[in-house]
Amino acid sequence: MRVEFQGELDALEAGFQETGEIVLRSIRGVVDALRTQDVELCDEVIAFDDEIDDRYHALEKQIELVLARQTPVAGDLRLVLALLHSGLHVERMGDQCVTIAKLTKLSSHLDTKQTVIESLVDMGERCEEMVKVSLDAFAARDLEAARGLHGLDELVDRANRQVFGEVLGYVHDAEALEWGMRQITVARCFERIGDNAVDIGEQTAFLVTGEFTEFTDASH
Amino acid sequence: MEAPRIDSGRIAEVSHGLDRAEVESREKVFSVSDLSVAYSGNVALEGVALEVHKNTVTAFIGPSGCGKSTFIRCFNRMNDLIPGAKVSGTVLYHGEDLYARDVDSVEIRRRIGMVFQKPNPFPKSIYDNIAFGPRVLGMKGSLDERVEQSLRRAVLWDEVKDRLKDGALGLSGGQQQRLCIARALAVEPDVILMDEPASALDPISTTRIEDLMHELKRDYTIIIVTHNMQQAARVADMTAFFSVLVDDDGAGRRGILVEYDSTTKIFTTPSDKRTEDYVTGRFG
Amino acid sequence: MSSASLPATVQGGRPRRAWRNRFFTVAMLFCMFVAFGTLIVLLVDTFVTGWPALSSQLLTGLPSTVPAEAGARPAILATLYLGLLVLLFSVPIGVLTAIYLEEYANRERWWNRMIEVNIQNLAAVPAIVYGILGLAFIVRGIGVGRVVLAGGLILTLVVLPTVVVASREAIRSVPDSIRQGAFALGATKWQVVWRQVLPASIPGIATGSILALSRAVGETAPLIMVGAITYVAFNPTLMGPYTALPVQIYNWTKQPDADFQTLAAAGAIVLLVIVLSMNAVAIFLRNRYRRQW
Repeated sequence: MRVEFQGELDALEAGFQETGEIVLRSIRGVVDALRTQDVELCDEVIAFDDEIDDRYHALEKQIELVLARQTPVAGDLRLVLALLHSGLHVERMGDQCVTIAKLTKLSSHLDTKQTVIESLVDMGERCEEMVKVSLDAFAARDLEAARGLHGLDELVDRANRQVFGEVLGYVHDAEALEWGMRQITVARCFERIGDNAVDIGEQTAFLVTGEFTEFTDASH
Repeated sequence: MEAPRIDSGRIAEVSHGLDRAEVESREKVFSVSDLSVAYSGNVALEGVALEVHKNTVTAFIGPSGCGKSTFIRCFNRMNDLIPGAKVSGTVLYHGEDLYARDVDSVEIRRRIGMVFQKPNPFPKSIYDNIAFGPRVLGMKGSLDERVEQSLRRAVLWDEVKDRLKDGALGLSGGQQQRLCIARALAVEPDVILMDEPASALDPISTTRIEDLMHELKRDYTIIIVTHNMQQAARVADMTAFFSVLVDDDGAGRRGILVEYDSTTKIFTTPSDKRTEDYVTGRFG
Repeated sequence: MSSASLPATVQGGRPRRAWRNRFFTVAMLFCMFVAFGTLIVLLVDTFVTGWPALSSQLLTGLPSTVPAEAGARPAILATLYLGLLVLLFSVPIGVLTAIYLEEYANRERWWNRMIEVNIQNLAAVPAIVYGILGLAFIVRGIGVGRVVLAGGLILTLVVLPTVVVASREAIRSVPDSIRQGAFALGATKWQVVWRQVLPASIPGIATGSILALSRAVGETAPLIMVGAITYVAFNPTLMGPYTALPVQIYNWTKQPDADFQTLAAAGAIVLLVIVLSMNAVAIFLRNRYRRQW
């Protein structure tokens, strides 16, 4: 029953997951680029973002059509709304990767500090894991896994504060400071990616329970 | 809540409603220009122009009295049966004038079939209902096969294959309507006209008929009239919105075509304010 | 509506309305008894009078001046033949007329409207007028003579309007959606009528025809006009002289001999049986094949 409609919903979700895969690759790309300071890799990641943006707009357009033509209700409506929001979060993640790539390019001529790089790579890998978990949880409608994202995000936040603390120590070395400040922004981008992943988890929870709740309270 | 299985195989073949360019790239089946219909002098419909393309679903929507049923009956000359009905303007079917002098209305109606609002099975057996058309038209070939094929196409075969000799009036409303569709399919039409095919049916039967339209679209050209605009949104590729124009003195009412475009456009960014008012339910 | 005008309790109510209601019920029952009672009395009287003369002699014997030996075989046979002729003529003509009027005639045209009005009138014309008509045009005019065929034709004329009206009702009761559905498939007008409308209206047509037939079988006056001779002592043939059962009964009642009165009553019973059986068949057909649209 309503085979066409179901097909359209399936297509929407598949499109979303595919875009998620592409973003995962972007994250991996910037993590590798950080580790190896590979400028070409950064360029690739930046170029890739166009596709992510296009896909997001296509998703948005498709959702508009599904809403207009199929008037989804109940679970179908929640799915469509969750896809709309999650699609935006994925697109934002893509933008964060671009920022990271640009910053890496910008500071590539400067010396790197291994500890900071390691922290950043660690953050990046945790983000990658979070994004993967969030996408899988969405696909599997797994409430537990979605809620678990909050805990993973804590680790990312901790690493962020670590980087910040490290860079504070470079205040006497101008070059290192310049490099360090850029890396603070990079860390911030990773932290944002983590938050977006948590947001996707919140959307999954909304999809499953019908209620929207914040996993974290931003006031602390 | 269960995790869905995304069938990626289907994703490739799902046709989201065709957009205007795709529709217009297909062969033209009907070309209507300046069509007006009057019943005993009272103008019911005026100045309609549009084109219908092959293997698409076109929906006519609009408030009651806007002439959409009158219009759909112009396509198979059923208005000829109403005394006092006068049709002026042109309707071209595959390039030929449907209302030319030497046109055989019997042949027209074979190629352009019709399903009515209230299911109207004949008071005969299920088999004889489907067989009626082929019999009166003298169609060759195995009647049994034709009946089975038609019932399969209308997704009714499995439900009635063991009781073809039973009376058709014993079927449920939804089944009767699918029987009427099968009956129309039996004479191998090119176009199927449906005048509010699901308005007398319950929601599940309605969904079945809508799914059927998606299937039938592959092989036939379908035109439907519906007062349920959500239905038009769900099934149609192109939608035509009709409305009523009231004369200045308030006496005469005539139907006009307000907007005709892809369904997507009509339901997302309609060009005419009247269309917007109607589809958002703020009409009248 | 203020609560003051409503009665305080549900009992008691409005005595005047209830009284009127009961009065009406009683009046209706009374009328029914009168009507029914008259009929019952008639039937019982006939039965009681005619019972002695009811025998196989009556059914198989030829008429005679001796009551004890008199039979009504020729009359019964003629009545049955007449009935057959009436069926044969009135049904096709009547049904086709009804088809024309219902399916083909354009109501706007004056001649169709005239036909329409007059069909109803014709059903009300007294049968004896048809008798005079038949005498002038069929017996003498065409020159057929005072034969069974003539009688059959006259009776056909008598019941034709009824058959037309009944057939029209039956045809009219076929919903238009059936016709539309058939047309939409590409059927011609004749195919729609012959294959859909007519088969669907057969129960109504059959019922109407049988009722008309049972009326024809009981007609006396027109048959007398066209010369159903009273003394026929041989089996009737199509083109030969004849007498019908109602006429036979009529003549028996004219005889002075009391035994003939008994015979007449017995003949009346036979006629009643014939007519009531036909009616029963009509009712059975109507109930069995009643359409649920």
